[in-house]
Amino acid sequence: MPDVISQNLPFLMRGLATTLRIAGLTAAGGTLLGLAVGIAIHLRVAVLAASLRLYIEFVRGTPLLVMLFICYFAFPALLGYRTTAEQATILGFILFIGAYIAEDVRSGLRSIKPGLVQAALATGLTHWQALGLIVIPLALRRIIPTLFNQYVRLLKFTSVASVIGVQEFTGSAMLVNARVFAPVTILAFIALTYLVLCLLLSSIGRVLHARLAV
Amino acid sequence: MREPIIVLKEVSKAYGATPVLRRCSTAVAAGEVVVVCGPSGSGKSTLIKCINGLEPFQSGSITVEGVEVGAKGTDLPRLRMRIGMVFQHFELYPHMTALENVMLAQVHALRRSRSEARERGRELLDRVGLAEKADAMPANLSGGQQQRVAIARALALDPRAMLFDEPTSALDPATISEVLDVLVELAREGMTMMVVTHEMGFARRVADRVIFMDQGEIVEDSRKEAFFSNPASERAKLFLSKILFH
Repeated sequence: MPDVISQNLPFLMRGLATTLRIAGLTAAGGTLLGLAVGIAIHLRVAVLAASLRLYIEFVRGTPLLVMLFICYFAFPALLGYRTTAEQATILGFILFIGAYIAEDVRSGLRSIKPGLVQAALATGLTHWQALGLIVIPLALRRIIPTLFNQYVRLLKFTSVASVIGVQEFTGSAMLVNARVFAPVTILAFIALTYLVLCLLLSSIGRVLHARLAV
Repeated sequence: MREPIIVLKEVSKAYGATPVLRRCSTAVAAGEVVVVCGPSGSGKSTLIKCINGLEPFQSGSITVEGVEVGAKGTDLPRLRMRIGMVFQHFELYPHMTALENVMLAQVHALRRSRSEARERGRELLDRVGLAEKADAMPANLSGGQQQRVAIARALALDPRAMLFDEPTSALDPATISEVLDVLVELAREGMTMMVVTHEMGFARRVADRVIFMDQGEIVEDSRKEAFFSNPASERAKLFLSKILFH
């Protein structure tokens, strides 16, 4: 390992830990949000569904960095609360990725053939039971690859948080670079680390999909 | 006539301006086996899906053991537990094993304990000849095997009557008989059955009555012997001549 890296390894690893923490929390939060929104739209919950569509369109038409600025500067100013850069990042990423996951969830739900629901109803299960026992579990299995694709995107997006001062992996690496100036080595190191993590994540997705797909 | 389990009175249904059922009336008594036949698009499947409330209808009435299917306050899940249904495309839950498919509604609709449901599930899979396939996933079963699991799934709720919607139409010819054998056995045991099918051999063998439908109408509703030897309507004659001799 090159000296610039080994000498700064503890600092870089703290940055990586922050990156993984942000990615993990936002993946979990975004998945929950996406599930809730996707299901609500699928069920056509009157006014709610319309406003959720608006949310999705808004997010899809907003750059990620603008989304972060909104969560870091605009929301606290408008709603009168204080936030740290990391908290704002987590909120922004959850709102961002949640919209995309909602679309995935919705198309997954739509891909379940109505005959299965009819069969469930015919055995005396309620609509809610059919949804919870058949439709949602099947839809989730079907969208595992797309979900993991979103997690991979998310992991790489975390680097954007350095712009609002979060010392995640990329931000930390750039600080080290500012001190020692070894851009090629440092960038090679972080790029390789991101690559390995992304490959790991997508292979977890592949294994899960192979196990659970029907 | 024995006490009717299913009674239809003047049932009509339309999709927009297109009528699908026109004033259909009939009754099915306990233990009776009724075969419903007719050209495709004649409303057979729609008719039997109205009976357990899977399809809504606009006028007329359907009662199952005295309970009005179309009435507002009717507890449809409860009513459906008393009438099993088997579909053309099996509709097994693909993420569950054969046994889990048979257990699901027992546990969640009938509120049996898991162990009780498992025991009953194994018993029924054995009865349809699939004891050794209990842990198989639907994707690894042949069409005939999947349909037999679907029959076990419907029987698991101990229904008073069974509805079959073209149970052999999606099967390859070699496996049709394994499903029909199960149906024949059920009929022999006295199960009340309404079977939409093109299998006229099956109808001849086990039906008590045959209902012939065309363009949403019940054209003929007669004893099996009468229907096959001397159909009353021209439409039924034409249908029989087409379906029997090829």
